[in-house]
Amino acid sequence: MRVTRFLKMRLMTHNMLTSHVKGVTNGYPLILEATETNEKEIDFNPEFIAKMIPRIEWSALVNAMEKLGKADLIPEEVADEYENDEDFLHKAHHALLEIDVIKGNLVCPQSGRKFPISNGIPNMLLNEDEV
Amino acid sequence: MRSCLGNLFKLGARVHLSFNYAQKRLLQNRAIDGGVRNIFDRKVKQMQKQRAVLSPDGHIFEYLKEEVACSVVDRIADVKRSFPLALDLGCGKGFLAKSLAQEDGVSMMLQGDLCKENVTKAYPSLIPCDGLSFDEENLPFRDNTFDLVLTSLSLHWVNDLQGYFSEVLRILKPDGCFIGAMFGSDTLFELRCSLQLAETEREGGIAPHVSPMMQGHQLANLLSSAKFNLVTLDFDQLVVNYPSMFELMEDLQGMGESNALLSRKMLHRDTIIAASAIYQAMYGDTMENFIPATFQLLHMIGWKPHETQQKPLERGAVPKGFNAKEKSQN
Repeated sequence: MRVTRFLKMRLMTHNMLTSHVKGVTNGYPLILEATETNEKEIDFNPEFIAKMIPRIEWSALVNAMEKLGKADLIPEEVADEYENDEDFLHKAHHALLEIDVIKGNLVCPQSGRKFPISNGIPNMLLNEDEV
Repeated sequence: MRSCLGNLFKLGARVHLSFNYAQKRLLQNRAIDGGVRNIFDRKVKQMQKQRAVLSPDGHIFEYLKEEVACSVVDRIADVKRSFPLALDLGCGKGFLAKSLAQEDGVSMMLQGDLCKENVTKAYPSLIPCDGLSFDEENLPFRDNTFDLVLTSLSLHWVNDLQGYFSEVLRILKPDGCFIGAMFGSDTLFELRCSLQLAETEREGGIAPHVSPMMQGHQLANLLSSAKFNLVTLDFDQLVVNYPSMFELMEDLQGMGESNALLSRKMLHRDTIIAASAIYQAMYGDTMENFIPATFQLLHMIGWKPHETQQKPLERGAVPKGFNAKEKSQN
């Protein structure tokens, strides 16, 4: 019996990705279009979330949540003193790690080029003319 | 090249086909992208990896990658730092993520490979892991993102290593770490020599069949010129024994490590048979019936510059010379 892994793309990953098509200067953030999503609980690790907050582009995360129709689950701005704000960290944890995109597209904001997400894996391979 | 074409014209009926083939190869050899001469065909490499991973017994050829991934993970564990976010470039079936545990200091891992099927069939991991498919030569990540960038046995198919290292430095956070393992120039030297000797004997010339691989000092220069700090290299050698050269070549194909050079040329049957005999005679063990195949590994670690990293002392910082110590002992 073969065990199939349930693969997904988390919003943490989406926050790190940018369009690298040749000639594109403003390729971040990629616009998320998700046709199939899933939610899975992950163990909450407040230190990890607190360390990741400074390098997350919060506006990009808020945009992604809006596109998924979950804008109400996340505050608009990073809270001051977020390291001690459990509630804020919980919301950030849920948004970053527990929402999984299985199928969809990542669209470059400048060129409109679509990077498909299938089986939870975004395909960022470029064609020869885009390198 | 011109004399080679002249010889082809003498072959009569097969001339037209051979000429087109030669011309196509010549044009491919000139493939230059942004000033970097491409030696590897990335498209072919992707197809080879795909074939290797989709084959029903693909898992029996994973021993080498798994072994090297374990030694890379050992090195990660040796670094007394925690790395919240790590990236694995050229992950294959996720061998690094498979061997990592929370105690090694990595909290989340992103892994990417040229071949999407490799990531689809990646092994499960104890830490949260996301898979991507991208070309290592074009990294789709923001600046200053990762604490740790890893690579294990995938650098030997990258065309522009200088560009690659600069990109890795870009996506690393300041004081971030790059740990990697790649094949060194001694890898498969037995195979390379045997094929060269056989080809010279049978076909009167040689073509590259084993990729050109990096020497240690060249790698150190590349890393330093890419502005990595505290670069450290160490060398390791794995010798794997096979019954004959045919099993070795079959295993290389099964691993997805077949020839993907742009200037590759087909091997004739007589050449392969001759090479196998030469391999056995030159390198084979006379008592037991096996041949060794050497895989030289270059393990590298480099850091993105940061003020907290140690620097060399200022000149004159240590005022006493060796003479002073001798006098005080007397």
